[in-house]
Amino acid sequence: MPSLEPLTILIAEDSAADRMLLSHIVRRQGHEVLTAANGAEAVESFRQQRPHLVLMDAMMPVMDGFEAARQIKLLAGETLVPIIFLTSLSESEALARCLEAGGDDFLAKPYNPVILAAKIKAMDRLRRLQATVLQQRDLIARHHEYLLNEQRVARAVFDKVAHSGCLSAPNIRYLQSPYALFNGDLLLAAFTPAGDMHVLLGDFTGHGLPAAVGAMPLAEVFYGMTAKGYGLPEILREMNAKLKRILPVDMFCCATLLCLSFQRRSVEVWNGAMPDGYLHTIATGERKPLTARHLPLGVLSPQTFDDRTEVFPMAVGDRVFLLSDGVMDTCDSDEQLFGVERLHQVFAANRQPDSLFEEIERALRDFGGEARDDVSMVEVSLLEAAQLSPPAPVYSDSGQSCPLDWSASFEFRAATLKRFNPLPYLLQLLLEVHGLRAQSSALYSVLAELYSNALEHGVLGLNSSLKRDASGFARYYLQRNERLAALQDGYVRVHLQVMPEGKGGCLIVRVEDSGSGFDVARVLERPLDGVRLSGRGISLIRQLGHNASWSDEGRSARVEFFWEALA
Amino acid sequence: MTDTHLDCDVLSALQEIMGDGYPDLLDTFLTDSEERLSLLHQADDAERLGAAAHSFKGSSSNMGAVRLAALCHELEQHAKQKNLAQIEKLVQNIDSEFAIVRPLYEAERQRALCG
Amino acid sequence: MTVHKEVSQDGKKLTISIKGRFDFTKHQEFRESYEGKELSAVVVDLKESTYLDSSALGMLLLLRDHAGGDDSNIRVVNCSSDVRKILAISNFDKLFGIS
Repeated sequence: MPSLEPLTILIAEDSAADRMLLSHIVRRQGHEVLTAANGAEAVESFRQQRPHLVLMDAMMPVMDGFEAARQIKLLAGETLVPIIFLTSLSESEALARCLEAGGDDFLAKPYNPVILAAKIKAMDRLRRLQATVLQQRDLIARHHEYLLNEQRVARAVFDKVAHSGCLSAPNIRYLQSPYALFNGDLLLAAFTPAGDMHVLLGDFTGHGLPAAVGAMPLAEVFYGMTAKGYGLPEILREMNAKLKRILPVDMFCCATLLCLSFQRRSVEVWNGAMPDGYLHTIATGERKPLTARHLPLGVLSPQTFDDRTEVFPMAVGDRVFLLSDGVMDTCDSDEQLFGVERLHQVFAANRQPDSLFEEIERALRDFGGEARDDVSMVEVSLLEAAQLSPPAPVYSDSGQSCPLDWSASFEFRAATLKRFNPLPYLLQLLLEVHGLRAQSSALYSVLAELYSNALEHGVLGLNSSLKRDASGFARYYLQRNERLAALQDGYVRVHLQVMPEGKGGCLIVRVEDSGSGFDVARVLERPLDGVRLSGRGISLIRQLGHNASWSDEGRSARVEFFWEALA
Repeated sequence: MTDTHLDCDVLSALQEIMGDGYPDLLDTFLTDSEERLSLLHQADDAERLGAAAHSFKGSSSNMGAVRLAALCHELEQHAKQKNLAQIEKLVQNIDSEFAIVRPLYEAERQRALCG
Repeated sequence: MTVHKEVSQDGKKLTISIKGRFDFTKHQEFRESYEGKELSAVVVDLKESTYLDSSALGMLLLLRDHAGGDDSNIRVVNCSSDVRKILAISNFDKLFGIS
């Protein structure tokens, strides 16, 4: 007989002779035997000794086999303890009772040792199978718990990086699904040193860790470069190059990137493979679609990447609305998509701009769609610059040693003007002077304004009055790109001079361009007009800096900044 | 030994299984059977009677007492059908049959001890 | 077999046809249909495919990478209007000939 691991077998049989016979048979087969003369004894014996298998006589005094079987099965719980009923019951009803009571098999009297051995072997196989299943189940459950915990930790890191920045600013409203641990979406917002706001809504291919892994380097580029004052084109180039380098070929990130300027009352847009965004003009009620003109990030090499943005004017109260494709892809039970048409219906029916989010959510619910984990929406409004207070930047050095008496001059010529934005570098240099740090926002705004005037009106000869209305705006920026691409000659010079003064210091900034200048006196006489889209730069410079002046027929601008002794 | 009362093949198998414990088994059976017989006599309702008959049937068949087992089976059926007419006769038959097989088992026991 | 491949007589052009949903379940078959081949022109026929998701876009990028990247010549043909819409939004017409 093939060897079997010895089991402990409980024999519950009220006839002493039968009990003796059976014990003998079972012992001869190599097993350990426990005996009981009635059902109650059997249950007690099981409770104390936990045998592997039970041979149970059906008819016993005190407690019969059926009841004993029921109790033993309860005690055994998840573990399989096979119970073989011993019976001379021939009626099928009685046999059915055996199985109902939890019996796994039965053995007829008179006992046949060969059959008994076979049954014990078969039952043991089942018993061990069940034990393996439970073991594996527990292993899987533990492993699953472990994985869930890892995801929780990763999510916490992901959230810190990917869903922070200035999303709590008063002009931003957003909605993201709480369902998935990661849903591949990204929503970032941050202030530039000038007080503009950069917003990115992104959608990585895939879900879970693979999507999150790409999001973190992307977020770092976004925050780092935005804080230093880089513009959208540079940030886009860097993000694209980074993703192209680190992600596998078939992974990419669809994204819409915005730069909202409260000073200039405009929004700059780049949409790579995301659904249409919408620019909502409150005065006319028009919602202009901001369509994707670019491939997603991480697909094109740096040489072929297209960083061209579009610029649109905005009035105070206007908003830009962005959404991920989770909204349109919501399906109902008939596999119908919610789609873009239904979204447009919600737009058309909307009366209160502030209720747009609720109305879209309600439409999705009414549609009966299955809730998805990748529904993301964000709405950014243009408020008065004064209503927003960007947080003060935090510096890591303590500040005892800094350059207090120096000057530097730069000349940026045509080839450089085309592809390079010097402002972040100039600002970083100036922020080495601790006394200037408290004014970094004003400093950056003034520098940016001086540089853009010198480049656009000076070197490129663009007429700012074009920016009178929306279509003029578009033409202006088109011309700007065309002329910049074709630029052969010209320069912008920047002179910086820092000197101590009293207990504090003074910075003198001069910016010169190779253009044809302008009628300074006339421009300075114009009253400040808050609504007009152009011509506000000069006022800004005069308000934020000191002693602003223009010379050389407008080709040279000069402005000063002062600071007191630091406490 | 007459085959109608004891099945020799069963006895050989039992001896083969039990080895040295064979005489003990026969002893135990005889003692057990006497208890069962008295239970049969004491039984005052059909259910108890049927259960006692059923049990005795089981152990007799294991021990090769074929006619005894058959009689117990008959008694069990009658008790189930609540046919009380034949009961007394059937119990008597069982008594008689046991009276016959008992010495046969004792002889078998002796044979096993000496042989 | 939901991804069917066919090589032209001169061995230069490969046509890959997709039946049903063009999604991640086709990943292995799709890759096997062009792996190890020297390709000069590839046509992906979506006549019998009505649906395309972001993993399909990824698969097209892998094919493009294999076929020479910027020097590749890949066309995606017989697109349904839904498929065209998806390809248009993702601006994949800048990388592939779409019809």
